[in-house]
Amino acid sequence: MRRWRLVSALLILIFLLGACAAPQGGEGAAAPAPAAPPADAGPSQLPVNVPRNEVFVADQIFRYSVIDNYNFWVPGPHTPHRHALMMETFWYRDQETGERLYGAAISDPIYNEDYTQMDVNLRDNIYWSDGVQFTADDVVYTVELLKSNPQLSAFGWSAGFNQFLDSIEKTGDFSVRFNLKESNPRFHTFFETRWNGMYIMPKHIFEKVEDPVTYTYSDPVVLGTYRVVQSDPNGFWELFERREDWQRTPAGIVVGKPGPKYVLTIFYGDSAKKAIAMSRGELDVFFDVDFEAFQTVLKTTPTARSWYKDFPWAYPNEIDVRHLAFNLESDPIYANKDVRWALALALDIVDLQTEYIGGVAKVTVMPVPPTAPLRAMYLDPLEEWLQNLEIEIEPGVMYKPYDPTVPERIAAWAEEQGYTVPGSPREVFGTGWWKYDPDAAERLLIKNGFSRGANGKWLKPDGTPWVLEIASPPDENDAFRMANAAADMWSDFGIDVKLLGLERSVWEQNNAVGQFQVSTPWFSFVLADGDSWPQVRGWHPRFYVPNGEDSRSTGGSNITRINDPKVGEFIDAMVSAPPGSPENTEITTEFLKYWTEQMYFITPISFKKFVTWDERYWTGFPTSENPKYMPLYWFQGGKFTFQSLEPVSR
Amino acid sequence: MTLLKTYIIPRILQWALVIFIGVTLTFLIPRLSPINPVEQAVSRLTAFQTLSPEATIALRESLEDLYGLKGSLFDQYIAFWKRVLSGDLGPSFSSFPMSVNAMIANGIWWSIGLLGTAVVLSWVLGIFLGTLAGYFPNRLWTRVMESIVIVVYPVPYFIIAFTLLMLFAYYLPIFPLVGGASGTPSFSLGYFGSILRHSFLPAISVIIGATAFRFLMAKALTTSERTSDYVTYAEIAALPKRKILGVFIIRNTMLPQVTDLALSLGAIFEGALITEIVFSYPGIGSTLYNGIISADYNLIMGITLLSIIGVATASLLVDLTYPLFDPRVRLR
Repeated sequence: MRRWRLVSALLILIFLLGACAAPQGGEGAAAPAPAAPPADAGPSQLPVNVPRNEVFVADQIFRYSVIDNYNFWVPGPHTPHRHALMMETFWYRDQETGERLYGAAISDPIYNEDYTQMDVNLRDNIYWSDGVQFTADDVVYTVELLKSNPQLSAFGWSAGFNQFLDSIEKTGDFSVRFNLKESNPRFHTFFETRWNGMYIMPKHIFEKVEDPVTYTYSDPVVLGTYRVVQSDPNGFWELFERREDWQRTPAGIVVGKPGPKYVLTIFYGDSAKKAIAMSRGELDVFFDVDFEAFQTVLKTTPTARSWYKDFPWAYPNEIDVRHLAFNLESDPIYANKDVRWALALALDIVDLQTEYIGGVAKVTVMPVPPTAPLRAMYLDPLEEWLQNLEIEIEPGVMYKPYDPTVPERIAAWAEEQGYTVPGSPREVFGTGWWKYDPDAAERLLIKNGFSRGANGKWLKPDGTPWVLEIASPPDENDAFRMANAAADMWSDFGIDVKLLGLERSVWEQNNAVGQFQVSTPWFSFVLADGDSWPQVRGWHPRFYVPNGEDSRSTGGSNITRINDPKVGEFIDAMVSAPPGSPENTEITTEFLKYWTEQMYFITPISFKKFVTWDERYWTGFPTSENPKYMPLYWFQGGKFTFQSLEPVSR
Repeated sequence: MTLLKTYIIPRILQWALVIFIGVTLTFLIPRLSPINPVEQAVSRLTAFQTLSPEATIALRESLEDLYGLKGSLFDQYIAFWKRVLSGDLGPSFSSFPMSVNAMIANGIWWSIGLLGTAVVLSWVLGIFLGTLAGYFPNRLWTRVMESIVIVVYPVPYFIIAFTLLMLFAYYLPIFPLVGGASGTPSFSLGYFGSILRHSFLPAISVIIGATAFRFLMAKALTTSERTSDYVTYAEIAALPKRKILGVFIIRNTMLPQVTDLALSLGAIFEGALITEIVFSYPGIGSTLYNGIISADYNLIMGITLLSIIGVATASLLVDLTYPLFDPRVRLR
């Protein structure tokens, strides 16, 4: 009996180990990766019956729970990739290049002198998918319907129009004029994407609808290049077909290529499932996975790659930045600028970026992502100021905290690992950062009455042990790794650190009511065009809510309880400065200097995504060698990426 | 008449009370959570962009209006019962404007199909094999089977599931990775075949553990019965072994197994969250999970209501039918 149990246990153990070993086709492979099917293979295990070489399979970043409903003007239905394929707005701001691409508009926004009117010229050569021509009537109808119906509240367009727009008028068949309630040089941002811009409705469809709020728009008539033809009733996948008349759509006109005949979006689930799907040839692109899964993909799918062909692989230029943000009212010590600076100087950014993040995200010293356009606009001009910045670490003793050599040190680490750095260290790894100088941090704390206890741990000025809590959601990979790095480094520095990995909804709720000391939100202070006001307006002191109350109650975004009139002055000054104007850049630059001096956030890294695609069936996806468009295909501006794809010729 | 008054009606009243209390608690508990469904929706809707503070406030008001969350807790409670009694579970907050009825209808049939089949198969298989193993304890195949079951049974479910996935979706890519079926629903052999292909791995993953559990239970019960006087007497009387096993032993070991089957079938309405996540399979489990993390009160209540009714009804049916199985249970 015992012998049989032993044999059975061994058999099962071998079975489990064999299966659980990571599918690493290369070194240490437990079994070879499945061979790539030929490009003209049939439908394989995909859920739709279309030729594999005619369908581009994209990772659907959500499993849809709102089924058979494309009324995106009502809050609820998911929009990622769907809006890229089907919906149109006026302009698309590409996050990679910073350039404006033209959608339904053919001109830039044309404001009058005092920014109380905005004129837009529209394309006269685009058509809805049912053959009806797009005209100014569609725009006027959409804006007026949203303005008159607050329940069409998705994305705040309805509320925004009621706040800023007096009326809209048609000035020609292909031109419209917006009459604004007050001067507003940013009104066009309702129609220009970062994520999306107001989706234009087909007037000839919606005007026949009795109730636009309950209307499901289940067979959408679209201005985009693709229309949905099949979908999973359980929300796992959706199939889109290219319009026959793709040349009469904005993306078709701009790119000049047809794109794939079909696009299938599939939600596979976690990183492991995406890796398996790509190795099986059933996924052409995914939007992100964790670092380990990405490494597995490289081994199991030889034709897969990300933005860079080799290290550091990931796409680094999505306009967003990660922070270690303080709640200034959770404990009086965090309201002290010197304490925040001490915590920054106790972090080793090179160690954080390499050992915790794998060297694959860019470092940034302020809430501006170091993309090429934004680096040129803000970070490069501020380099000299950063190098000369001084803080007082002891009474009368000034100290320069900035270390410009950080990118070079990360590059040296990369070379030690055997990687080749594909560009200058600053281009690839971002800006300099704060020195790792625990001595300076110690002097700052001692200056403010902190002391070390008998066990070497820090005591607060009132003599109680300093227990610092960091809250971070584990489902957000880089944020949680960054939180781990901070927890380790601050522990080494002598602080008793507790890292709380919280489920996202709890973390968000705690942030809102101020139930945290240090949290890890993401937030860029500028948009792709360099404008800051839309991003920072929620930090104005008039939206401040004290700790314990919900920071969302005033509509602001000030979870850190900053109540600084000087911040309010900067934000007020930005209001009237048109985006792109020298005045706008100057005010934003001064604001960034002030913010940095105050160390309201510690900002270590910007966003990176392992947007990874398999070149087995399709080519033409944007890369660092071909950075024509951003690879963020799930944004509304991702339409140009889909449109650029071409089948691999065999 | 006495049976009705003293046995059936009290149990039906008890059933109704259990449901009432369960539903009332389910109404209250999510509302005690600090997570607010409107704020969750606002977070979702503004995750990729910043709204002006004024627009955020307007959005919040619009959502409260759309979700029907205006009014006091008591008003909402009364409105809830009115809706439930008219068969309307209200809108889902996390998947607005889908109705909770539609959300449940989308998931429940997959759960019933997968778990119903898996529970019945594992119940039959486990009892059959376990009973044989208990009655013939010294056979070689019994020892092999028991050894395998003893090793498999303690393995956590998610490891079994992930192992199957790796083996049959990666190393031998013969099963699909996602969904409940290929294409869109139709009454065709192809669609039916695709349902079977998609459900095979999830079903096997559930059946393995459940069969192991029932095998051990059936074997223990059979071992106990095998040494009973009546079995010894039957063997001395030279009754065929098949008859002893089929007519006497199995009948006597069935009582706890019937209860287990009824409660397992009742619990189907909770879904199988891990199975659904590992195999990306549709069902009510992930719907409930998403409802909980986004404080979707209506969705949580809808699914819990179904689950409470399922388990309470299963218990009621067991209570009412037990006398039919066991002659010793009789109303005096």
